[in-house]
Amino acid sequence: MGKPKAKVDKKICLACGGCISVCPQDALLMCGGRAYVHEENCISCAICIRTCPVGAISGEAY
Amino acid sequence: MKYDVVVVGSGPAGSVTARFAAESGAKVLIIERRQEVGVPVLCGEGVSRKIDEWNMLEGKRWIAGSMDGARIYSPDGTMVKLSADMAGNETGYVVYRDIFDQELARQAVKAGAKIMMNTTSTDLLKDNDKIKGVRAKQFDEEFEIEADIVVGADGVESKVGQWGGIETRLEPKDLETCAQYTLTNVECKDAYCDFYLGKEIAPGGYAWVFPKGKDVANVGIGVLASLSESGMAKKLLDKFIANNPRLKNGEPIRFLAGAAPVASPVETVRDNLLLVGDAARHVDPITGGGLTCCLEGGKIAGETIGMAIEIQQFDQETLSVYEKNWKEAFGKKLKRNYLVKEILLDFDDKTFNMLADSLKDYKFEELSTLSLIKALVLKHPTLLMKLRPLVKISSETKE
Repeated sequence: MGKPKAKVDKKICLACGGCISVCPQDALLMCGGRAYVHEENCISCAICIRTCPVGAISGEAY
Repeated sequence: MKYDVVVVGSGPAGSVTARFAAESGAKVLIIERRQEVGVPVLCGEGVSRKIDEWNMLEGKRWIAGSMDGARIYSPDGTMVKLSADMAGNETGYVVYRDIFDQELARQAVKAGAKIMMNTTSTDLLKDNDKIKGVRAKQFDEEFEIEADIVVGADGVESKVGQWGGIETRLEPKDLETCAQYTLTNVECKDAYCDFYLGKEIAPGGYAWVFPKGKDVANVGIGVLASLSESGMAKKLLDKFIANNPRLKNGEPIRFLAGAAPVASPVETVRDNLLLVGDAARHVDPITGGGLTCCLEGGKIAGETIGMAIEIQQFDQETLSVYEKNWKEAFGKKLKRNYLVKEILLDFDDKTFNMLADSLKDYKFEELSTLSLIKALVLKHPTLLMKLRPLVKISSETKE
């Protein structure tokens, strides 16, 4: 099992865009009015997780 | 579809750019990924009355309240007051950002711009590296929009810049991550915007209370992303409200998240491409406020585009009139305030208490970050050592 990758809880996300702006891998984008993670680009740095003001992003093992 | 200009994003910077481009004769399309201009609001909704000079908004529906001044509270509660009677007339408004944005979009349409809602840009349209427009998606339909000039007004999370080869990614230390309630059942006995500093309150940022009526206020918080943990902004905001006697009985009628770049501005021009607003990092790095720069920068962008359309030249050199002019208008201020932000981040709570104590009876010439900086330098020659790199910039800058 690899390192946990970022996953956005769509019920909590308020689409502020902060996570997208700090992602070093361009792995996040706005999709359907919520942030969305492209897992294959995510490098498990957790910057987005720490940045989220409402705790909508967590690490999930794949 | 072929336009002279496609503007990605209908926020204030996008709409103002579109308006002034359309007024100078350009055929303009705005695309907006959301289903309603200005919604959801992602903002504290405070703005300087400087925007009055530009006359871009008609009517008063977008105004929630006119402000008489601001109070800054240091970590131990010492208050520094910047009031209208000390500060001439230039104070500010608390606005309804949804109505504010819709009024600016209405002005763009009145000037001749078209708006396409529910439309996301997915990439730039290129022909051998030359930008020819954007690829877009509306519901399940994908299509191309051709344009001589693409304007990236796509906010803090801007992709347009990156697609065009401009590095817009932010370091966590250059982003404020924010949360805000609009609370009712709170006491707003005067028209002051309040700012609260302190490592326990808001690491690398501040909490704010902006009144929107007798018993309604925006109560929010910004935390520097490099000092944040998951969900910290909301948790600290809840704590701030619970600990504040004036706010603790408030009930929320709105909750929102936000992200404000507090970075040095990026390059804003490429062949066939401009960045405006938050996408261009046109935000005051000390306050995180961006509306004045977005409006002023948008006007400059729109006028530059008008000129480029007239001479039918869309290369970087032609469009760099925009970059030159925004740098002249507010570039130095952003640069100076970025350096001040870096210095302020090194101050501990004790230093903020000491500074607030020394400024508590100070008569400010005007309500601005510049007058605060001037006061600090005047009162604390020792701090001048740290602020020395700014003195030159600051003496050159007129706000």
